[in-house]
Amino acid sequence: MTTLSPFKIVPLLLPAAFLIILLVLWLPERIELLDNVYMDTFKTSFVGILLEALPFVLAGALLSSLLQVFVPDEVLSRWIPKKPIPAILFACLLGVIFPVCECGMIPLVRRLIHKGMPVYVAIVFILSGPIINPVVYGATFMAFRSHPDLAYARMGLAFAVAFLIGLIVYVTVKKSPVRWSMERETGGNAHLHAARGGRLASVFVHTSDEFFDMGKYLIIGCLLTAGIQTFMIRESLSAIGGHPLGSYLFMMGLAFALSLCSTSDAFVASTFLHTFPAGSLIAFMVLGPMLDFKNAMMLMALFKTKFALYLFFLIAACVFVGSVLISVWL
Amino acid sequence: MNDSRSIRLHYLFRAAVLAAFALYILHLMQQDALHYYVAPALARWIRLCPVPLGLMALSLVIQALLGRSQVLCNCDHRLPAGFLKSTGLYGLFMLPLLLGFLLPDKALGSIAAAKKGISLTYSAMEPEKAIPGASTVPNKSITSAPTNRDTAVTFETTDPYAKEFAELAKLLYAQPVIPVYPAIYSETFGAIEMFKEQFEGKEIAVSGFVYRDQTVGTSGPFAVSRFLVQCCTADATPFGIMVDPQQKLTLPADSWVKVQGKLKVVSQGGKNLIEIEASQITPIAQPQTPYIYTSADSVAAWKALQKDAAKAK
Repeated sequence: MTTLSPFKIVPLLLPAAFLIILLVLWLPERIELLDNVYMDTFKTSFVGILLEALPFVLAGALLSSLLQVFVPDEVLSRWIPKKPIPAILFACLLGVIFPVCECGMIPLVRRLIHKGMPVYVAIVFILSGPIINPVVYGATFMAFRSHPDLAYARMGLAFAVAFLIGLIVYVTVKKSPVRWSMERETGGNAHLHAARGGRLASVFVHTSDEFFDMGKYLIIGCLLTAGIQTFMIRESLSAIGGHPLGSYLFMMGLAFALSLCSTSDAFVASTFLHTFPAGSLIAFMVLGPMLDFKNAMMLMALFKTKFALYLFFLIAACVFVGSVLISVWL
Repeated sequence: MNDSRSIRLHYLFRAAVLAAFALYILHLMQQDALHYYVAPALARWIRLCPVPLGLMALSLVIQALLGRSQVLCNCDHRLPAGFLKSTGLYGLFMLPLLLGFLLPDKALGSIAAAKKGISLTYSAMEPEKAIPGASTVPNKSITSAPTNRDTAVTFETTDPYAKEFAELAKLLYAQPVIPVYPAIYSETFGAIEMFKEQFEGKEIAVSGFVYRDQTVGTSGPFAVSRFLVQCCTADATPFGIMVDPQQKLTLPADSWVKVQGKLKVVSQGGKNLIEIEASQITPIAQPQTPYIYTSADSVAAWKALQKDAAKAK
């Protein structure tokens, strides 16, 4: 096993230290280079999105660590129904009691899978949790005050998509698609209780592990979203709104790119009420919480790449078909 | 990579990053700049974050300094292997901190509004012609006979969800000059927009930042705008009312103004929009809270605000 010996990195340390000193001395005087309107807007968007996600990621990581340290492995498998259909329904309802924001969900679900939750049930939870809960329903209802049928449609489509994908995964995926590092964790349990400061300290150490694991994907997602918000013009694309099917693809693409929280995307969607058909708005509101830059990166952290891509395809396809069908009813 | 020394180093770095995040949040709280980034409801949770961040940093420091070597294990390969990967990881986490500390805290302005596309109408309330199969949607604005302005102007709606706006509209109409309070800005806008024909000719006083279409110069028509924030800057939606300045004025974009004038209904791009024929435009300082947020009960808020305004007099 290679060790990171301090002597090996000295050759790199010296120029790195030099660079850092240079930056620290030079940058504050040249700050105007950075301080222009675009950077300001980028910074405000970036920090805003990151701060908004931060409490949820911390909560998810904390919950996950608490589960790891205090709840024995078998407890969860006793609670989840064995047959697929009741298990999927159980997962859909979990979101109602556990309204976790999608950012905090991944570390928690990782832990749940390790504790015995079958993968297909976990996926249903990941997909339906951010949407099928009272907070999001209330927010959607408020944003579309004059169109309550849109709120119902959103909930209905989310449920249908999550259910369908859960079944498909149950039937088609036989080998565990979770990344290998998860499997190795069984050895880690022995070390848990030996940490200094006891179990409480180990909870925080593991929370920090989860935070750094998830955080890197979160930060990349936030950077991309902030970049899009700062440099991409939205209204020029309203011409696409006239397109019968193109508008659906556009709204789905927008939902993916914007990475909005599921409680606030309804309001953003409502501003498009006149330029885009209602079905495409439903697609926006269902795809966004299930799949966006932040989520996609975090799902890649959780699952093997091939499975993650398969999942993305399933989500996009089901949401697209589902929203087109629903628009007939709306 | 099981070397306990490198694990300790990693733990120390991580503790430093976590502590830096906690410090940044505390810094924002002390500068009272949190509201530039997130809505007040969410700010509450962010204020709590330094606690777990600090505890995490502390635990890591304890492990790094006091932990027994045989216990410090990287069996689940959570820690990055190699100098480059480590620098990459921690550099990524330093990026938001660097941006946060180095650049000033500013509210979103015209550039963001231009990119997001400013909303000159309160869309959720408009009569739906674009939605297919919307024949069941009730008509929301029943106008009174236009010739009888002196008899009671009715604000009626058959739509139960628009009742709050109808009630607010009644209260607003009774004012000689309609004040637009920041606390119920979007609801005031929505109420006026919904019954724009009835409000035509009324005096209104509203403040916001100057937003101009990129193609127009620094004089000419602009929109007096505010950003509506639900959750955080990602969903910030700019709302604006068109202003016809009636005179040649040079107003740089993003400067804050108070506009007073008469409401008019104009047609633009096939839609009816409200516009203010300005009689008075005064520059003001950017208010402490530049963004607006939705109000749970705009009518109650209006009554409370009116009471406060009367007391102040």
